[in-house]
Amino acid sequence: MVVVDWIAPLIVVAYVIAAVGVWLGLWADGWGEITGVMWAAPSTDHWLGTNRLGQDILLRAVAATATAFEIGLLVALASSMVGGLLGAVAGLFNGSRLDELILWLKGTIDAIPFYLFVAAVAFALQGHAMAMHLAMIVVFWTTTARVVRAETIRLGQSGFIEAARAGGSTHARVIVRHLLPNLAHVLLVQATLVFVAAIKAEVVLSFLGIGVQDSISWGLMLAEAGQDIMAGQYMNFLAATLFLFGLVMAGSLLADRMQIRLDPRTRNQWRTQIQ
Amino acid sequence: MAIDNTGICRSCQVEYCGAALVICRIFLQAGQERVNNAVVPARPLPLIFPCTMENPMSFARTASAVVTALLLCVACERSGGNGEAPVVYRHAIDGIPASLDPAHAANIYSATLVVNLYDTLFRYRYLSRPYELTPNLAATMPDVSDDGLVWTIELRENVRFADDPAFPRGRGRAVTAGDVVYSLGRHFDPATRSQGAWLWRGKIVGLEEWIEAGANPDRRIAGLHAVDNQTLVIELTAPFPQLAHTLAMALSAVVPREAVEYYGREFGVRPVGSGPFILERFDESRAVLERNPDFDRGALDLAAEGLDPQRHAELGLEPLNGRTYPFIDRLEVHFITEPTSRWTSFVAGEVDNVMVPPEKSGQLLASRDPLRFRPDIERQYHTLAEPEAGFVFYGFNMANEAIGHHPDEDIDRANRALRCAMREGFDWQERNHTFYHGLGQVFPGVIPPFLDAFDPSLDASSTDHDPQRAQRRLQAHDWSPETLPRLTYGLEASVHQRQMFEQFRARMQTIGIPNERLRHRAFASFGDFSRAITGGELDLFLIGWTMAWPDAQYALQMFYGPNAAPGANSFNYSNPEFDRLFERAARLEAGEERAALYRQLNEMVINDCVHIGSLSRTRLHLWHRHVHMLPDREMLGGHFLRFVGIGAAP
Repeated sequence: MVVVDWIAPLIVVAYVIAAVGVWLGLWADGWGEITGVMWAAPSTDHWLGTNRLGQDILLRAVAATATAFEIGLLVALASSMVGGLLGAVAGLFNGSRLDELILWLKGTIDAIPFYLFVAAVAFALQGHAMAMHLAMIVVFWTTTARVVRAETIRLGQSGFIEAARAGGSTHARVIVRHLLPNLAHVLLVQATLVFVAAIKAEVVLSFLGIGVQDSISWGLMLAEAGQDIMAGQYMNFLAATLFLFGLVMAGSLLADRMQIRLDPRTRNQWRTQIQ
Repeated sequence: MAIDNTGICRSCQVEYCGAALVICRIFLQAGQERVNNAVVPARPLPLIFPCTMENPMSFARTASAVVTALLLCVACERSGGNGEAPVVYRHAIDGIPASLDPAHAANIYSATLVVNLYDTLFRYRYLSRPYELTPNLAATMPDVSDDGLVWTIELRENVRFADDPAFPRGRGRAVTAGDVVYSLGRHFDPATRSQGAWLWRGKIVGLEEWIEAGANPDRRIAGLHAVDNQTLVIELTAPFPQLAHTLAMALSAVVPREAVEYYGREFGVRPVGSGPFILERFDESRAVLERNPDFDRGALDLAAEGLDPQRHAELGLEPLNGRTYPFIDRLEVHFITEPTSRWTSFVAGEVDNVMVPPEKSGQLLASRDPLRFRPDIERQYHTLAEPEAGFVFYGFNMANEAIGHHPDEDIDRANRALRCAMREGFDWQERNHTFYHGLGQVFPGVIPPFLDAFDPSLDASSTDHDPQRAQRRLQAHDWSPETLPRLTYGLEASVHQRQMFEQFRARMQTIGIPNERLRHRAFASFGDFSRAITGGELDLFLIGWTMAWPDAQYALQMFYGPNAAPGANSFNYSNPEFDRLFERAARLEAGEERAALYRQLNEMVINDCVHIGSLSRTRLHLWHRHVHMLPDREMLGGHFLRFVGIGAAP
């Protein structure tokens, strides 16, 4: 059980190392260079072979890890901040017009088909490199806000919030000093889930041609693989699929374990199991 | 659609829609019985269906009867009116037409549809090679005066525009010489935003004055007028031997003024012409065309179309000889931009033809030299492997002072050095191998090998991949990563185009142009991409140029100054000496003198490094054996589609 618990974090750490290495320019810098012949088989020069252009598939897959992390982290962080703040405000002022306004905004955004929305944002921003990031943040904060709002309402019924209010704390102070610390576990788990969801969405969008524009992504590799497969070449497909599968699986497992360990309602049960 | 008591579907004039009547009668009878709670004899059906509904209780049954009867009538209609299944040909093309207005049919995708919906005065013979013009809407080939300045063209009689609400009582009228005058004239109305005006600009007497006076279609153009309903006269400012070729282009197709005015901005999606087909449906995925019942050009004469019994033996065309065309009831043109999807659609039988994606060539070809398909492929499909009548190349936007023309001579020279270095840095052989089956032919300049003016002895070093020379050239003109301009590379959004960009960028990197100096901009459709080129939004772009007539002038006019964007000169190349020689060559008949001038012009384009090129692709086509045709779209555009026959495999 303990071994299984550590597998997911270890995989994630491996991906983090891969991504950080790319950011620091330690490896995979030449993902766009043509270093081999067309569709070369795996060899010591090219561990996963080359693609149609003669680019190294392993380098591209590793470089795409950095792209995935960049998008996943940015979207997770931003949507958690926005969703956490608006969810806490909505929960604190439960039933007020402000709460209704935030709920209406969430409902409206949720009603728009995601991929259509991203395409519209990309068009509005004229293909700007950050169009996809912005669209994801705008969409993904709503789930976080919904969970945080529910948790805030629950916390609001606890005595310490009323005590803080009775003690003269302002709303902002109540949120920052009392609510958010108690919502940390919720935000952390939500951020992990959004991280995984953002990476999956990025891959789909890049595959469709409305995602990553001037970099490399597993989605772009999969789109190329669609052509390669016709010629009986599968390495692009295998590399992109396995890299994506590993990160998404590890991220999801990690989110599950964090949920169990950090949620006060399940934490004690988990500890008892461990003992 | 309505059915009368005689059982004739009023829409399709089909005699046997009895099933609809029977069902209607049963439903009405049952409704009557239920309402009155007694057996009541059925009323006679009213003269026109749907039946009158005196009793509201019978509404649901009557409505059901109406729907059922209509469906049956539609089924009758779709069966071609005689109970037989309609003959359908499903043609796949690799792009989406942005408009079906002939004035915008400047690309192969729009032209494919436009020439089947509208008529052009001339067309190319179906099977003759080299390509030969033949009358289409014209009754005969033009009568040209001795000085080459006055062209008289007689039109066929009894050619009608298709029925459409744009006409009084919805009935199409006869096509007249006045329609040809109107159709050519509207290219010069700014509201039309024509992409073909450059073809005739400055060449017709009085045209400039007419344009300056407001391009009013009610006013006469001195050199373009109808003598009577069947006779058109064109007076030229200077001899223009290629005029007949321009009148075979989709851009010159004849439109009725009523429809242009009736539909306004929607005219691009509501075509009304006199071609062999009528548009039934048009969206992003496909266009469905129905046979135009008023289209009558007589029987197909294969000998006149250039049939070579040996060369065309395998196509199974002979049974079509002597039959009235078009031979199909419905033409579906499927727009499938992704090669993988196109191939899978073909293999699944969803479309009848495919242009073979490069990825498949290795599995389909038995040998590349000589070019031969595998025997099992030849048994299963019709095959065609022919060089395209055109080429692909990269163009620079010469209007951008950062890389193109510059008033300062030193900067202008440095810009030229940068363009030449990029040309030397690019590897056409690699591109050929990666994306064109390795079957393309790389050649210098813009006169492709299939033209008479092609010079096989021309120095081909401009197509060599020579990164060292490119680096030396950049150093000699003090170009460094810091001083290089930021360039925008335009492409149509697709996997192939993106990969081509990556390949281009990788090659530029090897000569010292960093990735960040070359950014790409993707466009959702070819139309958007094309507009961005003509709008000067791109510094560098890869385009294909399909020849509309078999003469080098058609390629060289891309560099003629007065043709600057939105005309054919998308590069905005400006060279007075080039223009002078081009104008001289344009007045000459085919011959050595003209060929020599063309070669001189070609060398000017090469020396000024206006483009990076070129490569003429060899296209591999497959089509199912029950389809009998020669799907050569190179010069014919979509004209061959009227001759497609469907039947048992030969």
